[in-house]
Amino acid sequence: MNDRPELFRGNRILLGCIYWAFVLYVFVPLILMVLMGFKDSRFIGFPIRSWTLDWYVGVFANTEVLSTFGYSIAIAVLSTLISVFVGTWIAVLLESRKFTGRPVIFGLTVLPALVPGIISAIAFRIYARWLGIEPGMGAIIWSHAVHNVPFVVLVVMARLSTLPKSQMEAARDLGADPLVAFVRITLPYLVPAILGASIFCLLLSFDDFVRSFFLGGYEPTLPVLIFAMLRSGMSPEINAIATVALIMTAGIGIWAERFTRRMKKDT
Amino acid sequence: MTDPTPLVRIDGLSKHFGDTVALENLTLDIPQGQFVTFLGPSGCGKSTTLRILGGFERPTTGRVLLDGEDVTNQPPEKRQVNMVFQDYALFPHMTVAQNISFGLELKGMGRDAIRRRSSEIMAFLELEDFGARYPLQLSGGQRQRVALARALAPDPALLLLDEPLGALDAKLRGQVQQELKSIQRRTDKTFFFVTHDQEEALTMSDRIIVMNKGRMEQDGTPEELYFRPASRFVAEFLGETNLLTGRMRGTEGGQIVMDWQGTTLRGKAPRSLPGEGQPVSASVRLEKLDFHAQRPETGNAVQGRVVAKTFLGSRMALQIAVGDQAEAMLKAYVDVDTSERVGSDPVWIGWDPDHMAVLND
Amino acid sequence: MTDSATAKQDRPALGSAGDAPTFWGRLVGWGPYRLLMQLATASPRRQFLILMIFPVLWVLTQHLGPMLYMIRVSLTDAYPVAPGVEQSFTLEHYAKFFTNSIFWQPFFRTLTFAATFTFCTLIITYPVAYFLARHVSRRNQMRFLLLLLIPFWVGEIVRTYAIMILLGNTGAVNLALQTLGLVDRPIPFMYTSFSMGMGIVYLTALYMLLPLYSALEKLPQSMNEAAADLGAGAWTRFRRISLPLTIEGISSGCTLVFLISTGFYATPVLLGGPSTTVFAETIAGFFHVAGDEWPTGAAFATIMFMAALVITFAFQKLMNALRKGEAK
Repeated sequence: MNDRPELFRGNRILLGCIYWAFVLYVFVPLILMVLMGFKDSRFIGFPIRSWTLDWYVGVFANTEVLSTFGYSIAIAVLSTLISVFVGTWIAVLLESRKFTGRPVIFGLTVLPALVPGIISAIAFRIYARWLGIEPGMGAIIWSHAVHNVPFVVLVVMARLSTLPKSQMEAARDLGADPLVAFVRITLPYLVPAILGASIFCLLLSFDDFVRSFFLGGYEPTLPVLIFAMLRSGMSPEINAIATVALIMTAGIGIWAERFTRRMKKDT
Repeated sequence: MTDPTPLVRIDGLSKHFGDTVALENLTLDIPQGQFVTFLGPSGCGKSTTLRILGGFERPTTGRVLLDGEDVTNQPPEKRQVNMVFQDYALFPHMTVAQNISFGLELKGMGRDAIRRRSSEIMAFLELEDFGARYPLQLSGGQRQRVALARALAPDPALLLLDEPLGALDAKLRGQVQQELKSIQRRTDKTFFFVTHDQEEALTMSDRIIVMNKGRMEQDGTPEELYFRPASRFVAEFLGETNLLTGRMRGTEGGQIVMDWQGTTLRGKAPRSLPGEGQPVSASVRLEKLDFHAQRPETGNAVQGRVVAKTFLGSRMALQIAVGDQAEAMLKAYVDVDTSERVGSDPVWIGWDPDHMAVLND
Repeated sequence: MTDSATAKQDRPALGSAGDAPTFWGRLVGWGPYRLLMQLATASPRRQFLILMIFPVLWVLTQHLGPMLYMIRVSLTDAYPVAPGVEQSFTLEHYAKFFTNSIFWQPFFRTLTFAATFTFCTLIITYPVAYFLARHVSRRNQMRFLLLLLIPFWVGEIVRTYAIMILLGNTGAVNLALQTLGLVDRPIPFMYTSFSMGMGIVYLTALYMLLPLYSALEKLPQSMNEAAADLGAGAWTRFRRISLPLTIEGISSGCTLVFLISTGFYATPVLLGGPSTTVFAETIAGFFHVAGDEWPTGAAFATIMFMAALVITFAFQKLMNALRKGEAK
């Protein structure tokens, strides 16, 4: 019996090494990218001999880049609002009770999340044309909103399934009609899930390239701007922009993760 | 219908879930001010009845009349009926005071009136100190009282209680039973209580309705049910009993005469009589058996021998073998003194025919 | 009948002046609202219908609609339609794909790349997920997982760019190799299928990791110990216990990663070269030029979607069969 724990420990050390190697694999490229933004030279490449903050100064002085940030954020916020509203409604329907056609509705609900990016972008592009939505902010918001609905539905459904049925019944029993009962009982219960889903949608929208690229007008979103700049050559300026975007998204992600976990602990 | 309208009239209520019958043709009147208990094992239809009264289920057939008015198809929010849920269903994001005010708000009461009414009800249930607390910060017993306060606050005509003591520990349960009964007395509300616990039902109720497989088995006071069960199911479900299976001989002076282990016994008649010579069973409660050295002059009597004694604290349980070859066994509860008197010699066991209920199987 | 019921409900405080009901009390007592709710909740059936109508319309018009309309456009001869011109049904765009072998290469390349990269992602992330689920204490699991989540909050383009910097001729890898004296001149990693694979695995690893982790986490530790107690070695334990019981996680992770991999557009453009053109670039090509190529693009997108669906469906069937086989 004695050699068996040894055997487990051997595995454990080997697997631990693999885990930390994987951590390096996901972090190192990003760290290098960030470092490159401080290089005092137009030429992207190692080694870095002298450092500067000029590229960041340039980014914050460039109104065009700043307005792109604003544009991307506005798109993310507006599309998230739509996704959350629609997604919560669908989740409430799917969790309400069993009904014929429920699996079909569920399948259709998750469809946008399963369609490969390019195909989804093309389909949205054609459909937008048919609906008469011009390429631009409205079209991007619409496509992001539709694409993100499935994620909201899945998150909200998971939370909703843990709400005891008696809660709604108690509210109804005390004189609340279904709408009042939903707003006063179900909605407060869903807040952590809705917040979590919102943050996820914000990030998905802010980071999305392919839909923004095919449905955008003349004004680029941030990923589209970085893509366009990259096609005309690498420059530390791009690193500075990308780093700012990285800090924003990773920061929001970490904050949301901690915040929603704390909320779930409370209720 | 010359009677004054009962508070609740349940009229031919049935509920089917697909092929399963949860409730079959239940008809029942409940007058104002009664503590009515629906008792039965799980799946007997008691909860279904409660949920139909609350408005959470619609019956397949039949009607529910509340104060003479047909409410069968009214949603729960329209009914003057409130419920204490099994898990209490307190709203976790609201304080105790907010929970209690919830129903008052939706009645359209003014802010001051809400405050007055909720402090009144909190004082009544001794919850004054907990108004600002959240349900998660309360003990089980306190939560149960908050649930009761919340349901009583809107002044319902009928209060439904769905096994509200199930989540409490045994010691607290006894205390809460007394409390519930006294609250019901003081408010003079009609309580409709659902439970599977026979002891709970016997302690609190004015009237017990025993349900089995979607049908009503018996409807009566706790004493009636306990000492004069109408069916084998009721006799076995409520407390411990001696079931004597014998053969029907006939009736005599309103009593049934039957043969059991070569002895003639008399008992109270059930609603429908079994035919002569038919097998018949009867129930005698354990505490109704007396021990005699001589054959008693009146009443039923058999001879037997005590074969085992079990000390139960306040009393003793005796096992008695009846007949020479111990063809049948009886059980009896006696006080400790009596048990010391009874040795292992044959004794006479007697009981009053009024205490033996002949059963409909 | 309902009216008399509401009348019976005493509203004691309404009379006293200055004691206003709360917002909710006023709302449910407000005539128009009451009428509306009465109509909406007249029967459970109607109530459910009202709840159902918007979601059903939404998924039909917004989720299914774009896909169906894309297929419709792929079957027409011209889109957008010029005014006064009749649109007519045609299969020529599909014929174009099947008769021109120049399109086949990027098509099959996309599918083989996606399959290969999916397999690589599985191989890389399985031990990581295994370590997280089996060898990390419950309290630390979330922390270790969060550490991996952080880079994945960062967008596709930024991460693709990070890979470009890593693998460039003057990138970190080449610098390291040269400093160590392993190579004399930089290895041209970029614009090859290697750089593309590196990028795509980097982008999709999380979508594999999470399903694997949740499948592995559900396995009770006692199973492994029981197997060890019966004398099973590490490899046998893995092959006979963990692997069969996590097939579901593997299958959903692989499906997800495969579908995502086939859909990448920016990453192949930035990391790939002329020898690695994928079908996404072919499709996109029809949308960059004048609009009359749209039906062809739609047809090609449809072909790819169908192919991806068929492959994932077959894969799931295979996995199910495998699981049932193991269960015997």
